[in-house]
Amino acid sequence: MEPIRNSHATLVDLLDRVLDKGLVINADLIISLAGVPLIGVNLRAALAGMETMLKYGVMKDWDERTRAWESEHRKKNVEPICTGYCYLDRTSR
Amino acid sequence: MGLETQQGSKTQTALATEAIVEEGRYVYCVADAAEKVSLGKLGIEGQKVYTIPYRDICAVVHDCPAQPYQSDDQQVVKAWVMTHQKVVDAVWEKWGTVLPLSFDTIIRGEAEKSAKQNVKDWLKQEYERLKSKIGEVRGKAEYGVQVFWNPKFAAQNLAQTSPEIRNLEEEIKTKPKGLAYMYRQRLGNLVKREMETKADECFKDFYGRIRKHADNIRVEKTKTAGQGLQMIMNLSCLVYRDRYSELGKELDKINRMEGFSVRFTGPWPPYSFVGGA
Repeated sequence: MEPIRNSHATLVDLLDRVLDKGLVINADLIISLAGVPLIGVNLRAALAGMETMLKYGVMKDWDERTRAWESEHRKKNVEPICTGYCYLDRTSR
Repeated sequence: MGLETQQGSKTQTALATEAIVEEGRYVYCVADAAEKVSLGKLGIEGQKVYTIPYRDICAVVHDCPAQPYQSDDQQVVKAWVMTHQKVVDAVWEKWGTVLPLSFDTIIRGEAEKSAKQNVKDWLKQEYERLKSKIGEVRGKAEYGVQVFWNPKFAAQNLAQTSPEIRNLEEEIKTKPKGLAYMYRQRLGNLVKREMETKADECFKDFYGRIRKHADNIRVEKTKTAGQGLQMIMNLSCLVYRDRYSELGKELDKINRMEGFSVRFTGPWPPYSFVGGA
């Protein structure tokens, strides 16, 4: 499948990145942005008609565990990527 | 007369100091280029975008007051954010490698130091870190991968394949009302547990398959999905730009599985891979 990127269908994906991520500058150099992230959240909710925060439902614990698993896994496999595939053994569960 | 002149010049100095304090540089990104150029008036609200170089890298900025862009008008904010992205895209296309900053990052000036000097000093101080990040993302782009499943479909599948669930369902039929209620709760818990186990298996399976085609991966929080679907995986993948079609093929396989669907977005500048230390 081909990746999509257009201003309408992927607006939320864009906002997730442009509002929350990117290179960090040490705080003493940049002006205080208090309140600005809130604009971002409101904007997202209004524009995209969806909640941006994880809505904790039945899968909350599962979601957290999964991410914990991944970060553990990341620590154990520091070498780059693309090469190995051995970590996916079911014995780790 | 002499006194008046003195006072006058004092006021001038105070004004000049104030002017420096209040100026800032809105920073869009850091680019892998040594050039000192203007990119034209493509910035937020038509501001002139230009580069501030240090050695072989540069910051892409526009001049602004040292206060954040804020508005209650969502259309206005949306336009700003889109413009931010357009500038980063333009730089990305021009020089091939960018480290994007998030919207509304403004470096301020100080009494003793202009905003421009602060940008330069920042590039200087962070030079090694910025260069190493540039190296990490060179030739690559970020892609969003979200995997959804239909929980009803998954639960039905479990009901058919799990002997434990089947037995419990059979038992419920033979129980009197009150007891059947308790059994149903047990059944609910059991299904939930097995669903999570199943989602776990899927996650690890998909993760491994996707990992092979990505140089790096960030696991993002899953989000609420509409249309009766549940997001079980939300990844940002850093992929060599000429290798994304292999990832696409892998995602095709997942997308074709019954009860699953995949959302594949990008290419994005590597927002998710330049943050942190």
